[in-house]
Amino acid sequence: MSKDVSHEHSEIGSAQDQDDVALKREAGFNLRGLRITLLRFGIVGGFLLLWQIASGRWIEPFLISSPSRIFASLITGFQSGDLLQHTWVTFTEIAIGFPAGAITGIALGYWFGRSRVLAEIFEPIIIALNGIPRTALAPLFIVWLGIGIWSKVGVVFLLTFFLNFFNTYTGMRQMDQEYVDLARLMRVRGLKLTFRVILPAISPYVFTGIRTSIPFSVIGAIVGEFIAATEGVGFFIRLSAGIFRTADVFVGIIVLMFMVIIMDRIAGMVEKRVLRWQAQSEHVGVQG
Amino acid sequence: MSSLESTTQTRAENLAQDNQVIRVEAVSKLFRTPSEGAIRALQDISLNVPYGEFVTVVGPSGCGKSTLIKLIAGFSAPSSGRILYQGDEVRGLNTRVGYVPQESKLFPWLTVEENVGFGLDSKRFPRPERERQVNYFIKLAGLTGFEKYYPAQLSGGMSKRASIMRALAYEPPVILMDEPFGPLDAQTRMVLQDELLKIWEQKRQTIVFVTHDLVEAVALADRVVVMTHRPGKIKDIIDVPMARPRNIFEIHRQEGFDEAYGRLWNIFRHELKLRSH
Repeated sequence: MSKDVSHEHSEIGSAQDQDDVALKREAGFNLRGLRITLLRFGIVGGFLLLWQIASGRWIEPFLISSPSRIFASLITGFQSGDLLQHTWVTFTEIAIGFPAGAITGIALGYWFGRSRVLAEIFEPIIIALNGIPRTALAPLFIVWLGIGIWSKVGVVFLLTFFLNFFNTYTGMRQMDQEYVDLARLMRVRGLKLTFRVILPAISPYVFTGIRTSIPFSVIGAIVGEFIAATEGVGFFIRLSAGIFRTADVFVGIIVLMFMVIIMDRIAGMVEKRVLRWQAQSEHVGVQG
Repeated sequence: MSSLESTTQTRAENLAQDNQVIRVEAVSKLFRTPSEGAIRALQDISLNVPYGEFVTVVGPSGCGKSTLIKLIAGFSAPSSGRILYQGDEVRGLNTRVGYVPQESKLFPWLTVEENVGFGLDSKRFPRPERERQVNYFIKLAGLTGFEKYYPAQLSGGMSKRASIMRALAYEPPVILMDEPFGPLDAQTRMVLQDELLKIWEQKRQTIVFVTHDLVEAVALADRVVVMTHRPGKIKDIIDVPMARPRNIFEIHRQEGFDEAYGRLWNIFRHELKLRSH
């Protein structure tokens, strides 16, 4: 057996050599990556420049504003604290509605996946409910929960919930049942079965749900604020558009964009950590 | 699904019979398929396995040999007949056996050591014992140094070993193996067969080992159960009176191999002729 172990080690050795080769090749890729990055900046810069030139010369500034005006509005908006307050309100709505919706969706998706009876009873109902354009329910939430943050939390919750529920439930159905059978054969039950076997097995699906629901949670908050609100980025955008302060409309859009990007980055980092068993399998890997 | 319930009046009688750990009694298994209707995978199978025996089940692909050990593991129930395990009828998952599936099926999100220790429950194996047990089996499998690796980083042979160790580590009295060395290359296969026999000679659990390889079936076994093509029936059971410990790498030269292999081949030659006509 010892002979065989040393054999395996020599395989590691050869993998190391391959890694060196791969690293060298990666250096070549970096040069290519640099070119692509430069090109990307060029395109975005060119677009902004064209926008700046077009504004006022060819197209009315109140229609499209201009990058310089937008930047100035962004600065004054945050300096006055006004924009910060709106951003904070929208952030709060998402910070409450999103985790609540995601956790409820994942839990219910898991539960439905475990119980055949539950799935049989509720599956058609849930699919029918999913057919409703959910943003159409936003006015109802205003009626039920008032024009404060809770109606928006409700819409965020709703949008987040369904995406997470469906992805988790799909994961439960697609999961390789043999893992569960094997674990149960080894007398593994209850919490250990849930947290050591089933949740890891469906985690790629769960993360797909979380990451696709991030932009939708922001949409939920904004739609709620469009309908009836006294503060929030959605309110700010609608108000600014109403008085033709187009630059402020774009400022609101930029704030939302960064909100989505930051949330996605955080989710991406967590995903990479939790699914490291998958990621590693792509990079390292012993042949043989 | 509750696992094992015994019918008390038959239990004493079953135990009294002898030292059989597995008793398969007139078991048939039907599968319903949409295209071909009902398929009879197993027909009237009866088989006893005593404690400590290494039994191989050999037959052509599709003869139901995997189905048989899946029934013993309780993954599904027989259509008729019954299976007794340690005197109790198997109903639902049989949590008193170890099972090594065809593919390694290591939990890809757990490291090698977490996989090997997966079946060790904290009552029987508190932390120090658990560590000792895991280390012992990792060493036995020649996986020292790979404890923190994830299955995707292992070679086929290494995952196979880890998969077998996962079933051995919590020391079930019976281990069912479903063509565990199937997809491996010839050398790795022989090395693993050799390792398996060495481990078994130390521990002497009962092993039921399914394979389609005649040489493997004879080389490992005390008894070879020969199954025929659909519907799967037991054609013959051959004793392999070869001495132990055996040398897998020169199994052909060992006394008794030729005779057992010859008998096995005769059965299959006959089968092949029947099917080609």
